[in-house]
Amino acid sequence: MEFEELRKIWDAQNDQPLYAINEKAMYNLILSKKKQAHRITNISELLIIIVYIITGSFVLGMNLFDQSSNISMYVLCAWMLGSAFFMLVNRIRRINGDNQFDRSMSGDLDHAISVATYQVRISQIMLWNILPIGALTILSLWEGGKPIWIAMVVLLFFALSYYAGGWEHNIYKRKKRELEVLKNKLDNAG
Amino acid sequence: MIEKEQQQIFEDWLSQHKGLIFKIVRAYTFTVVEQDDLFQEIIIQVWHSVPKFRGEASVITWLYRISLNTAIKWTKKERKHYQSETLEGVQHILQESRMQTDERLIWLYEEIYKLDEIDRSLTLLLLDGFSYKEMASIIGITESNVGVKINRIKKQLISKSKKHDHYGI
Repeated sequence: MEFEELRKIWDAQNDQPLYAINEKAMYNLILSKKKQAHRITNISELLIIIVYIITGSFVLGMNLFDQSSNISMYVLCAWMLGSAFFMLVNRIRRINGDNQFDRSMSGDLDHAISVATYQVRISQIMLWNILPIGALTILSLWEGGKPIWIAMVVLLFFALSYYAGGWEHNIYKRKKRELEVLKNKLDNAG
Repeated sequence: MIEKEQQQIFEDWLSQHKGLIFKIVRAYTFTVVEQDDLFQEIIIQVWHSVPKFRGEASVITWLYRISLNTAIKWTKKERKHYQSETLEGVQHILQESRMQTDERLIWLYEEIYKLDEIDRSLTLLLLDGFSYKEMASIIGITESNVGVKINRIKKQLISKSKKHDHYGI
Protein backbone atom coordinates (compact mmCIF):
# COMPACT_ATOMS: atom_id res chain seq x y z
CA MET A 1 0.00 0.00 0.00
CA GLU A 2 1.13 3.54 -0.66
CA PHE A 3 0.83 6.17 2.02
CA GLU A 4 -2.20 7.83 0.40
CA GLU A 5 -4.06 4.54 0.67
CA LEU A 6 -3.20 4.32 4.35
CA ARG A 7 -4.58 7.82 4.78
CA LYS A 8 -7.83 6.86 3.04
CA ILE A 9 -8.23 3.91 5.43
CA TRP A 10 -7.52 6.29 8.30
CA ASP A 11 -10.00 8.92 7.09
CA ALA A 12 -12.77 6.33 6.72
CA GLN A 13 -13.00 5.94 10.51
CA ASN A 14 -14.13 9.55 10.85
CA ASP A 15 -17.57 8.43 9.68
CA GLN A 16 -17.96 5.84 12.44
CA PRO A 17 -16.89 6.52 16.03
CA LEU A 18 -14.37 4.07 17.52
CA TYR A 19 -16.08 4.06 20.90
CA ALA A 20 -19.38 4.63 22.57
CA ILE A 21 -19.63 5.92 26.12
CA ASN A 22 -20.98 3.28 28.53
CA GLU A 23 -23.44 5.19 30.67
CA LYS A 24 -23.87 2.35 33.21
CA ALA A 25 -20.14 2.21 33.91
CA MET A 26 -20.08 5.96 34.22
CA TYR A 27 -22.98 5.71 36.68
CA ASN A 28 -21.03 3.20 38.81
CA LEU A 29 -18.01 5.44 38.77
CA ILE A 30 -20.16 8.36 39.91
CA LEU A 31 -21.65 6.26 42.73
CA SER A 32 -18.23 5.15 43.95
CA LYS A 33 -16.94 8.73 43.84
CA LYS A 34 -20.05 9.85 45.73
CA LYS A 35 -19.61 7.22 48.46
CA GLN A 36 -15.96 8.13 48.82
CA ALA A 37 -16.86 11.83 49.12
CA HIS A 38 -19.53 11.02 51.77
CA ARG A 39 -17.14 8.97 53.87
CA ILE A 40 -14.48 11.67 53.83
CA THR A 41 -17.07 14.38 54.65
CA ASN A 42 -18.45 12.43 57.61
CA ILE A 43 -15.03 11.78 59.11
CA SER A 44 -13.84 15.38 58.66
CA GLU A 45 -17.03 16.84 60.17
CA LEU A 46 -16.96 14.60 63.22
CA LEU A 47 -13.24 15.15 63.69
CA ILE A 48 -13.62 18.95 63.55
CA ILE A 49 -16.56 18.92 65.98
CA ILE A 50 -14.82 16.60 68.47
CA VAL A 51 -11.49 18.46 68.35
CA TYR A 52 -13.13 21.88 68.87
CA ILE A 53 -15.36 20.63 71.72
CA ILE A 54 -12.45 18.92 73.51
CA THR A 55 -9.96 21.79 73.11
CA GLY A 56 -12.59 24.48 73.85
CA SER A 57 -13.76 22.63 76.98
CA PHE A 58 -10.16 22.02 78.05
CA VAL A 59 -9.28 25.73 77.75
CA LEU A 60 -12.48 26.69 79.59
CA GLY A 61 -11.82 24.11 82.33
CA MET A 62 -8.25 25.38 82.78
CA ASN A 63 -9.46 28.98 83.01
CA LEU A 64 -12.15 28.15 85.55
CA PHE A 65 -9.80 25.94 87.57
CA ASP A 66 -7.08 28.62 87.68
CA GLN A 67 -9.69 31.36 88.20
CA SER A 68 -7.82 33.13 85.40
CA SER A 69 -8.69 36.64 84.30
CA ASN A 70 -7.08 36.12 80.90
CA ILE A 71 -9.80 37.50 78.57
CA SER A 72 -8.17 36.15 75.40
CA MET A 73 -8.43 32.60 76.78
CA TYR A 74 -12.17 33.00 77.36
CA VAL A 75 -12.63 34.45 73.88
CA LEU A 76 -10.57 31.57 72.50
CA CYS A 77 -12.68 28.87 74.18
CA ALA A 78 -15.88 30.66 73.10
CA TRP A 79 -14.55 30.79 69.55
CA MET A 80 -13.68 27.07 69.60
CA LEU A 81 -17.04 25.98 71.02
CA GLY A 82 -18.73 28.33 68.53
CA SER A 83 -16.78 26.70 65.69
CA ALA A 84 -17.93 23.25 66.86
CA PHE A 85 -21.54 24.50 66.92
CA PHE A 86 -21.18 26.07 63.46
CA MET A 87 -19.86 22.76 62.12
CA LEU A 88 -22.69 20.83 63.78
CA VAL A 89 -25.34 23.12 62.22
CA ASN A 90 -23.71 22.76 58.80
CA ARG A 91 -23.60 18.98 59.17
CA ILE A 92 -27.32 18.83 60.03
CA ARG A 93 -28.17 21.08 57.09
CA ARG A 94 -26.08 18.95 54.75
CA ILE A 95 -27.76 15.70 55.90
CA ASN A 96 -31.23 17.26 55.54
CA GLY A 97 -30.35 18.41 52.02
CA ASP A 98 -29.34 14.88 50.97
CA ASN A 99 -32.85 13.96 49.87
CA GLN A 100 -33.31 16.88 47.50
CA PHE A 101 -31.69 15.10 44.55
CA ASP A 102 -33.48 12.68 42.25
CA ARG A 103 -32.21 9.13 41.75
CA SER A 104 -31.21 9.58 38.14
CA MET A 105 -27.57 9.40 37.08
CA SER A 106 -27.53 13.13 36.64
CA GLY A 107 -29.19 13.66 40.03
CA ASP A 108 -26.62 11.43 41.71
CA LEU A 109 -23.82 13.34 40.11
CA ASP A 110 -25.37 16.68 41.07
CA HIS A 111 -25.54 15.35 44.62
CA ALA A 112 -21.88 14.28 44.57
CA ILE A 113 -20.93 17.74 43.24
CA SER A 114 -23.00 19.39 45.96
CA VAL A 115 -21.18 17.35 48.64
CA ALA A 116 -17.83 18.20 47.06
CA THR A 117 -18.78 21.91 46.98
CA TYR A 118 -19.69 21.65 50.66
CA GLN A 119 -16.28 20.07 51.42
CA VAL A 120 -14.48 22.82 49.54
CA ARG A 121 -16.45 25.53 51.42
CA ILE A 122 -15.97 23.97 54.87
CA SER A 123 -12.27 23.30 54.34
CA GLN A 124 -11.86 26.95 53.27
CA ILE A 125 -13.69 28.23 56.37
CA MET A 126 -11.68 25.92 58.65
CA LEU A 127 -8.49 27.11 56.99
CA TRP A 128 -9.39 30.74 57.69
CA ASN A 129 -10.46 29.75 61.21
CA ILE A 130 -6.86 28.83 62.03
CA LEU A 131 -5.97 32.56 61.83
CA PRO A 132 -8.24 33.91 64.63
CA ILE A 133 -7.54 30.84 66.79
CA GLY A 134 -3.81 31.29 66.29
CA ALA A 135 -4.03 35.03 67.01
CA LEU A 136 -6.11 34.49 70.16
CA THR A 137 -3.70 31.80 71.39
CA ILE A 138 -0.67 34.05 70.89
CA LEU A 139 -2.54 36.93 72.53
CA SER A 140 -3.46 34.80 75.54
CA LEU A 141 0.16 33.64 75.89
CA TRP A 142 1.31 37.25 75.78
CA GLU A 143 -1.38 38.26 78.29
CA GLY A 144 -0.33 35.39 80.56
CA GLY A 145 3.30 36.57 80.45
CA LYS A 146 4.63 33.36 78.87
CA PRO A 147 8.19 33.29 77.43
CA ILE A 148 8.61 34.31 73.78
CA TRP A 149 9.94 30.88 72.70
CA ILE A 150 6.62 29.26 73.67
CA ALA A 151 4.83 31.79 71.49
CA MET A 152 7.23 30.98 68.65
CA VAL A 153 6.62 27.23 68.97
CA VAL A 154 2.85 27.81 69.01
CA LEU A 155 3.16 30.09 65.99
CA LEU A 156 5.10 27.41 64.12
CA PHE A 157 2.44 24.85 65.02
CA PHE A 158 -0.31 27.09 63.60
CA ALA A 159 1.74 27.81 60.48
CA LEU A 160 2.10 24.06 59.90
CA SER A 161 -1.62 23.54 60.53
CA TYR A 162 -2.40 26.28 58.01
CA TYR A 163 -0.15 24.64 55.44
CA ALA A 164 -1.72 21.20 56.04
CA GLY A 165 -5.20 22.77 55.86
CA GLY A 166 -4.37 24.38 52.52
CA TRP A 167 -3.14 21.05 51.20
CA GLU A 168 -6.38 19.34 52.28
CA HIS A 169 -8.44 22.15 50.73
CA ASN A 170 -6.67 21.65 47.40
CA ILE A 171 -7.45 17.91 47.47
CA TYR A 172 -11.16 18.71 47.87
CA LYS A 173 -11.00 21.23 45.04
CA ARG A 174 -9.38 18.66 42.76
CA LYS A 175 -12.00 16.03 43.63
CA LYS A 176 -14.78 18.51 42.91
CA ARG A 177 -13.23 19.31 39.54
CA GLU A 178 -13.11 15.58 38.65
CA LEU A 179 -16.81 15.26 39.41
CA GLU A 180 -17.61 18.29 37.28
CA VAL A 181 -15.66 16.76 34.42
CA LEU A 182 -17.68 13.55 34.84
CA LYS A 183 -20.87 15.60 34.74
CA ASN A 184 -19.73 17.17 31.48
CA LYS A 185 -18.98 13.74 30.05
CA LEU A 186 -22.43 12.58 31.06
CA ASP A 187 -24.08 15.62 29.48
CA ASN A 188 -22.20 14.93 26.28
CA ALA A 189 -23.01 11.22 26.24
CA GLY A 190 -26.69 11.86 25.77
CA MET B 1 -13.61 32.96 32.67
CA ILE B 2 -16.70 31.97 34.60
CA GLU B 3 -17.32 28.28 35.23
CA LYS B 4 -20.52 28.16 33.17
CA GLU B 5 -18.65 29.53 30.17
CA GLN B 6 -15.85 26.99 30.68
CA GLN B 7 -18.40 24.19 30.85
CA GLN B 8 -20.12 25.33 27.65
CA ILE B 9 -16.83 25.48 25.73
CA PHE B 10 -15.80 22.08 27.09
CA GLU B 11 -19.12 20.53 26.04
CA ASP B 12 -18.80 22.00 22.54
CA TRP B 13 -15.25 20.73 22.16
CA LEU B 14 -16.13 17.27 23.37
CA SER B 15 -19.22 16.88 21.21
CA GLN B 16 -17.44 18.11 18.08
CA HIS B 17 -14.00 16.57 18.52
CA LYS B 18 -14.37 13.47 20.70
CA GLY B 19 -13.36 11.36 17.67
CA LEU B 20 -9.91 12.96 17.84
CA ILE B 21 -9.54 11.89 21.47
CA PHE B 22 -10.78 8.40 20.65
CA LYS B 23 -8.07 8.03 18.00
CA ILE B 24 -5.34 9.01 20.46
CA VAL B 25 -6.74 6.73 23.15
CA ARG B 26 -6.78 3.84 20.69
CA ALA B 27 -3.26 4.52 19.44
CA TYR B 28 -1.71 4.79 22.91
CA THR B 29 -3.38 1.93 24.73
CA PHE B 30 -3.65 -1.80 24.52
CA THR B 31 -6.31 -2.96 26.97
CA VAL B 32 -9.79 -1.61 27.69
CA VAL B 33 -8.70 -0.70 31.23
CA GLU B 34 -5.97 1.47 29.77
CA GLN B 35 -8.34 3.00 27.22
CA ASP B 36 -10.72 3.98 29.97
CA ASP B 37 -8.03 5.44 32.17
CA LEU B 38 -6.34 7.45 29.44
CA PHE B 39 -9.69 8.75 28.18
CA GLN B 40 -10.56 10.05 31.64
CA GLU B 41 -7.11 11.59 32.04
CA ILE B 42 -7.32 13.39 28.69
CA ILE B 43 -10.84 14.66 29.43
CA ILE B 44 -9.68 16.12 32.76
CA GLN B 45 -6.70 17.83 31.13
CA VAL B 46 -8.88 19.22 28.34
CA TRP B 47 -11.25 20.65 30.97
CA HIS B 48 -8.33 22.35 32.75
CA SER B 49 -7.03 23.70 29.46
CA VAL B 50 -10.21 25.57 28.48
CA PRO B 51 -9.40 28.86 30.32
CA LYS B 52 -5.86 28.81 28.87
CA PHE B 53 -7.07 28.64 25.26
CA ARG B 54 -6.38 32.00 23.59
CA GLY B 55 -7.43 31.11 20.06
CA GLU B 56 -3.87 31.43 18.68
CA ALA B 57 -4.17 27.92 17.21
CA SER B 58 -7.28 26.12 16.01
CA VAL B 59 -9.30 24.13 18.53
CA ILE B 60 -8.27 20.89 16.79
CA THR B 61 -4.56 21.79 17.08
CA TRP B 62 -5.06 22.75 20.71
CA LEU B 63 -6.89 19.53 21.52
CA TYR B 64 -4.25 17.47 19.76
CA ARG B 65 -1.55 19.23 21.77
CA ILE B 66 -3.29 18.62 25.11
CA SER B 67 -4.33 15.05 24.32
CA LEU B 68 -0.96 13.97 22.90
CA ASN B 69 0.94 15.52 25.80
CA THR B 70 -1.34 13.72 28.23
CA ALA B 71 -1.04 10.44 26.35
CA ILE B 72 2.75 10.66 26.26
CA LYS B 73 2.98 11.48 29.97
CA TRP B 74 0.46 8.77 30.75
CA THR B 75 2.43 6.18 28.76
CA LYS B 76 5.59 7.03 30.67
CA LYS B 77 4.12 7.19 34.16
CA GLU B 78 0.87 5.29 34.40
CA ARG B 79 0.82 2.43 31.95
CA LYS B 80 2.88 0.05 34.01
CA HIS B 81 0.19 0.01 36.70
CA TYR B 82 -2.29 -1.57 34.31
CA GLN B 83 -0.14 -4.24 32.73
CA SER B 84 -1.00 -6.91 35.28
CA GLU B 85 -4.71 -6.16 35.52
CA THR B 86 -7.21 -8.64 34.17
CA LEU B 87 -10.24 -7.53 32.22
CA GLU B 88 -12.78 -9.75 33.93
CA GLY B 89 -15.47 -8.12 36.02
CA VAL B 90 -14.39 -4.60 35.15
CA GLN B 91 -16.92 -2.12 33.81
CA HIS B 92 -15.61 0.47 31.42
CA ILE B 93 -16.82 3.90 30.43
CA LEU B 94 -15.52 3.54 26.92
CA GLN B 95 -16.90 0.73 24.80
CA GLU B 96 -15.51 -0.22 21.44
CA SER B 97 -17.98 0.46 18.69
CA ARG B 98 -19.94 -2.57 17.51
CA MET B 99 -19.66 -1.40 13.94
CA GLN B 100 -17.57 -3.56 11.65
CA THR B 101 -14.07 -2.14 11.67
CA ASP B 102 -11.89 -2.33 8.59
CA GLU B 103 -9.19 -5.02 9.12
CA ARG B 104 -6.66 -2.70 7.55
CA LEU B 105 -7.50 0.01 10.09
CA ILE B 106 -6.94 -2.47 12.95
CA TRP B 107 -3.61 -3.37 11.38
CA LEU B 108 -2.72 0.33 11.05
CA TYR B 109 -3.46 0.98 14.73
CA GLU B 110 -1.34 -2.03 15.68
CA GLU B 111 1.56 -0.67 13.68
CA ILE B 112 1.16 2.81 15.19
CA TYR B 113 1.11 1.25 18.65
CA LYS B 114 4.48 -0.40 17.97
CA LEU B 115 6.13 3.01 17.41
CA ASP B 116 7.64 5.03 20.26
CA GLU B 117 5.54 7.77 21.90
CA ILE B 118 6.79 10.65 19.76
CA ASP B 119 6.61 8.76 16.46
CA ARG B 120 3.12 7.66 17.41
CA SER B 121 2.09 11.32 17.86
CA LEU B 122 3.67 12.32 14.56
CA THR B 123 1.94 9.48 12.73
CA LEU B 124 -1.46 10.49 14.08
CA LEU B 125 -0.87 14.11 13.09
CA LEU B 126 0.41 13.08 9.68
CA LEU B 127 -2.60 10.88 9.00
CA ASP B 128 -4.90 13.70 10.08
CA GLY B 129 -3.26 16.03 7.58
CA PHE B 130 -1.24 18.42 9.77
CA SER B 131 1.62 20.39 8.22
CA TYR B 132 5.22 19.91 9.38
CA LYS B 133 5.08 23.36 10.95
CA GLU B 134 1.96 22.48 12.96
CA MET B 135 3.45 19.12 13.98
CA ALA B 136 6.65 20.84 15.14
CA SER B 137 4.63 23.29 17.19
CA ILE B 138 2.44 20.60 18.76
CA ILE B 139 5.24 18.16 19.57
CA GLY B 140 7.88 20.75 20.40
CA ILE B 141 10.63 19.66 17.98
CA THR B 142 12.10 21.42 14.93
CA GLU B 143 10.45 21.25 11.51
CA SER B 144 13.52 19.59 9.99
CA ASN B 145 13.45 16.95 12.72
CA VAL B 146 9.77 16.38 11.93
CA GLY B 147 10.67 15.93 8.26
CA VAL B 148 13.34 13.34 8.99
CA LYS B 149 11.09 11.39 11.34
CA ILE B 150 8.09 11.52 8.99
CA ASN B 151 10.12 10.19 6.07
CA ARG B 152 11.32 7.29 8.18
CA ILE B 153 7.82 6.56 9.51
CA LYS B 154 6.30 6.68 6.02
CA LYS B 155 8.89 4.27 4.63
CA GLN B 156 8.39 1.95 7.59
CA LEU B 157 4.60 1.93 7.26
CA ILE B 158 4.67 1.45 3.48
CA SER B 159 7.16 -1.40 3.77
CA LYS B 160 5.10 -3.12 6.48
CA SER B 161 1.87 -2.61 4.54
CA LYS B 162 3.41 -4.37 1.56
CA LYS B 163 4.27 -7.36 3.75
CA HIS B 164 0.75 -7.22 5.16
CA ASP B 165 -0.70 -7.25 1.62
CA HIS B 166 1.68 -10.03 0.66
CA TYR B 167 0.45 -12.33 3.42
CA GLY B 168 -3.10 -11.43 2.44
CA ILE B 169 -4.24 -10.69 6.00
